[in-house]
Amino acid sequence: MRYALALVGFGLALSPTAAQPPGKSADFAHDVVPILKAKCAKCHTNGTYKGGLSLDTRDELVKSKAVVSGKSALSELHKRVASTDDELRMPPGNATPLTAKEVAVLAKWIDDGLPWEPGFTFKPATYLAPLKPRKVVPPVAQAADREHPIDRIIDAHSAANRVERPRPADDDAFVRRAHLDLIGLPPAPGELDAFRAANRETKHAELVRTLLADNRAYADHWLAFWNDALRNEYRGTGYIDGGRKQITAWLYKSLLENKPYDTFARELISPTPESEGFARGIKWRGEVNASQIVELQFAQNVGQVFFGANLKCASCHDSFIDSWKLDDAYGLAAVIADKPLAVHRCDKPTGKTASAKFLFPELGAIDATAPKAKRLEQLAALVTHPDNGRFARTLVNRVWHRLTGRGIVHPVDVMGNKPWSEDLLDYLAVYFVENKYDIKKLIEHIATSHAYKARAVPLAREAPAGEYAFRGPELKRLSAEQFVDAIWMLTGTAPAKHSGAFQGALPPFPANGPKERQFVRCTLVDCDPLMRSLGRPNREQVVTTRPDQLSTLQALDLANGQILQTTLERGAANVLKANASASADALVDWVYLRALSRKPVGAEREAAKSLVGEKPTAESVADLLWAVVMLPEFQLVR
Amino acid sequence: MTTRALSRREYLHAMSAAGLATLANGAPKLRAEPVQHPKATADTVILLWMAGGMGAPDTFDPKRYTKFEVGVPVDKILSTFPAIDTVVDNIKLTEGLENVAKVMDRGTLIRSHVVADLGNILHSRHQYHWHTGYVPPQTVACPHIGAWMARVLGPRNPAIPPFINIGQKLEGHGESEELKAFTTGGFFGTEYGPFNLPFPDDAVSAVRPPKGMTPQRFAARHEKYKELLKASPLGELASDHHHESMLKSVDNAHRLLTSKERDAFDITKEPKKNYDAYNTGRFGLGCLLARRLTEAGARFIEVTTEYVPFLHWDTHENGHTTYARMKKEIDRPIAQLVLDLEERGLLDRTLVVLASEFSRDMMIEGVPGSTARDQSRAKAEKLGELKHYGLHRHFTGSGSVLMFGGGTKKGFLYGETAAERPLVTTKNPVSIRDLHATIFHAMGVSPKTAFDVEKRPFYATEDGKGVPVADLFAKKG
Repeated sequence: MRYALALVGFGLALSPTAAQPPGKSADFAHDVVPILKAKCAKCHTNGTYKGGLSLDTRDELVKSKAVVSGKSALSELHKRVASTDDELRMPPGNATPLTAKEVAVLAKWIDDGLPWEPGFTFKPATYLAPLKPRKVVPPVAQAADREHPIDRIIDAHSAANRVERPRPADDDAFVRRAHLDLIGLPPAPGELDAFRAANRETKHAELVRTLLADNRAYADHWLAFWNDALRNEYRGTGYIDGGRKQITAWLYKSLLENKPYDTFARELISPTPESEGFARGIKWRGEVNASQIVELQFAQNVGQVFFGANLKCASCHDSFIDSWKLDDAYGLAAVIADKPLAVHRCDKPTGKTASAKFLFPELGAIDATAPKAKRLEQLAALVTHPDNGRFARTLVNRVWHRLTGRGIVHPVDVMGNKPWSEDLLDYLAVYFVENKYDIKKLIEHIATSHAYKARAVPLAREAPAGEYAFRGPELKRLSAEQFVDAIWMLTGTAPAKHSGAFQGALPPFPANGPKERQFVRCTLVDCDPLMRSLGRPNREQVVTTRPDQLSTLQALDLANGQILQTTLERGAANVLKANASASADALVDWVYLRALSRKPVGAEREAAKSLVGEKPTAESVADLLWAVVMLPEFQLVR
Repeated sequence: MTTRALSRREYLHAMSAAGLATLANGAPKLRAEPVQHPKATADTVILLWMAGGMGAPDTFDPKRYTKFEVGVPVDKILSTFPAIDTVVDNIKLTEGLENVAKVMDRGTLIRSHVVADLGNILHSRHQYHWHTGYVPPQTVACPHIGAWMARVLGPRNPAIPPFINIGQKLEGHGESEELKAFTTGGFFGTEYGPFNLPFPDDAVSAVRPPKGMTPQRFAARHEKYKELLKASPLGELASDHHHESMLKSVDNAHRLLTSKERDAFDITKEPKKNYDAYNTGRFGLGCLLARRLTEAGARFIEVTTEYVPFLHWDTHENGHTTYARMKKEIDRPIAQLVLDLEERGLLDRTLVVLASEFSRDMMIEGVPGSTARDQSRAKAEKLGELKHYGLHRHFTGSGSVLMFGGGTKKGFLYGETAAERPLVTTKNPVSIRDLHATIFHAMGVSPKTAFDVEKRPFYATEDGKGVPVADLFAKKG
């Protein structure tokens, strides 16, 4: 980011300089930088400082004593680039020496006192983690009950940042949070009671494991997340001409089976007919911008989904905001291209043909001459290579974000940002790999830590990067699917049938699970206007986070939209039936327990009772249901 | 005026908490680089959208007329309607637009609107381009131009959503998903998205309690909700920004549902004579609704003839017959809208723009030389039956845009097209980018206005390069 700003500032400063008559003083931007970049940067900038010489900043250059400002004749740098001795001359070896003119430019620059663009640096400020996974040994536990490796890391983090160690959430909040986070639904009253009644210290972990063992509920919930990320369950453009393919059956099965994430990724990149929809992208009718052909969509989506890397800029030109180059995007695109792929810069052909190449060449090469299927196989292997720490880090970061409301690297699609705890990120990544890319295991590991069990932190605003320290999970807004599911569960109004995309794929509900959970979930039916309004996306683009605030138009749809109202009225009849002989008191309890995972307290009870009246009617119950589901407490995971 | 200013300030105050919270959450931020905004000549835009590709030679750009006769070679046909005079000497329209012809002295007609040729024609792609200024697909969700107005300018009146979309069903027909792709706030988020009113005669239901609920019950329900909220043991979580913004949004929605401006949505409140003047169908009533909402303080309103594949302006066969009907539908209400706005003193500050995603031609699909698939459903070398008679191919080489008010010139003709096929633009081409720049300019928004999206600048007009067509404005803004 700082790098980007430096360059922008740099660019702005160019015009006046350029307008000056030539020869007046050395033009750092136009004349000097290109020489340093071409001839010196590889060995003397951005982490590589051969011979102790750093050209990253003017200060470091001066410090290295390779130059004497104002005196080129006394400067080592000048001597070395001008030298005719093969042993001394820079750049060394077979590299082409500087031309006489270039030597003169550098000499004049030194003589002029090394003019440097304020803020400019050769060192990109984007955070660059070593690619290889790093095994972290968590610090010693600070107390007997703080042995979970995540807590050992977080406790050290809290101490270092002088923030209070997160306090534990109460039972009600924890049960509700775990249910909504892991399987997408609020707890059934029986589950709530059982948890409250249990005294075992292990009850949190047991609940987490029980929830994750409900394969059906888990798959029904996480389907939304993966549909967003993989642009699946999409009905828009592309279908008219068969330019788009669903992967629903494959995806749902993969979630049910808890397919190891490396296998999952390999099957998306080097696909079977069932999983090829992701790699094929969206083919539009007519001509599209060169940066949006399906091959580049593949590159962008692979980059974003698996690496939190933004190749969108680099699909058009070398990125200004991070280190990705046009070549990187086209290299990845060429892996899937059926025909030689002409490189375009800003929609104009450069005359070059792209050659298959992976984003992290240090992990290995792709044989550009191999047939496409082979290339995809090689790419799939490189993406999921055990030394590819970025792959595991990106996924664990997404899961951490889903569970706690904030990424360790934030936002989750900018993995070039610095994590607030490198130790935590690397620890989790290695844990994930060592546990054979088992996503459920990872979720379990996080959800059984004290960090996850901590009380939610209220935030007046989102903490900017750099200021963030972990204090506990943040509040999360229910997704459209969670909101609708919670209402269906509360009111018994789920549709009878799932969408045709799931032909024969639905497994039975687990025998030991609560009855309340046995219904067709929102993810299994087509999007309706209410779900759409609440943010179930179009999926023309990859989506990895949903907006976390309720907008006015959404609130309007909740206040007078017909879909919600009809559902609540049908639901009110069901609620009345279930509470046929119940008092207003009991009915209010019934609703609160199911909607908010607690009973009403204090003045709440009276307010709710007066809403529903002495003799509850379908109308008054519908109004109570509305008032309760409109509470932020219902719409947020706390 | 004072009331409005006051209510606006209250609104901004109320909105600011939600707004700021939204900004804090990774929503696009206005780019720091300062841009010079022009002085606004309009406060409101009404976009009259001729969905499906309105053929200029049979509407606003008459060419040589050929009467229907069996056996006429179709490649001789340019226009299937004769030209008519307007109140402006040098502007002719086609038969069926007599009412618009009478108000041409208030308008500017652009005949040289050239849209991008995207190869094989797909209406929704061109509509996406026209409405967002960007050719799809894009790597980010582009906002509709109405969402730009909502985001940059905000509402004129807090009780009226700033971006209102009238007349388009978004469910239940082919390409409805494609329409949703641009009928959206895009990366600005739903706060700036369209308030959709597909049926103007039912618009009021969008701002009323749900069906079957009395206003008394609705009000009581809200009161009780407030009580529950107050009594709920929120503790410290009440200070969280998620909480706060949620409550603000609920309050904003409730204000909209209880404000007196709600009546603006109820077109049955219009005197019968006026109502009838507009009532040529859904589009006509949409124009009436747009006028009422403009009076009430809307910022951006789109009224569409509605896009449904192969219906309305989307004539793949039977073009002439369909155009006769379509012109009946649009002619009277457009003229009435202009006259009503003028009478109320609103025309000077309201920019009415009539446009379409592309034009049509009897012969050419796309542009001359294009290899786009011929999509006519009435292919014939010679006219055999009425079905063959009409503009059945999609043409991108020229098109007409009509503007009224909002600081544009009166009785002005801009641009020119060839007299013979291909009927391409021969003078002063206006691209979508520059047309958008013109609309932004009228609204006092620099076409270079940019937001940071995923750290990249995203501009109001493509790459910030839109240039307003200065000639169209009555005086320098």
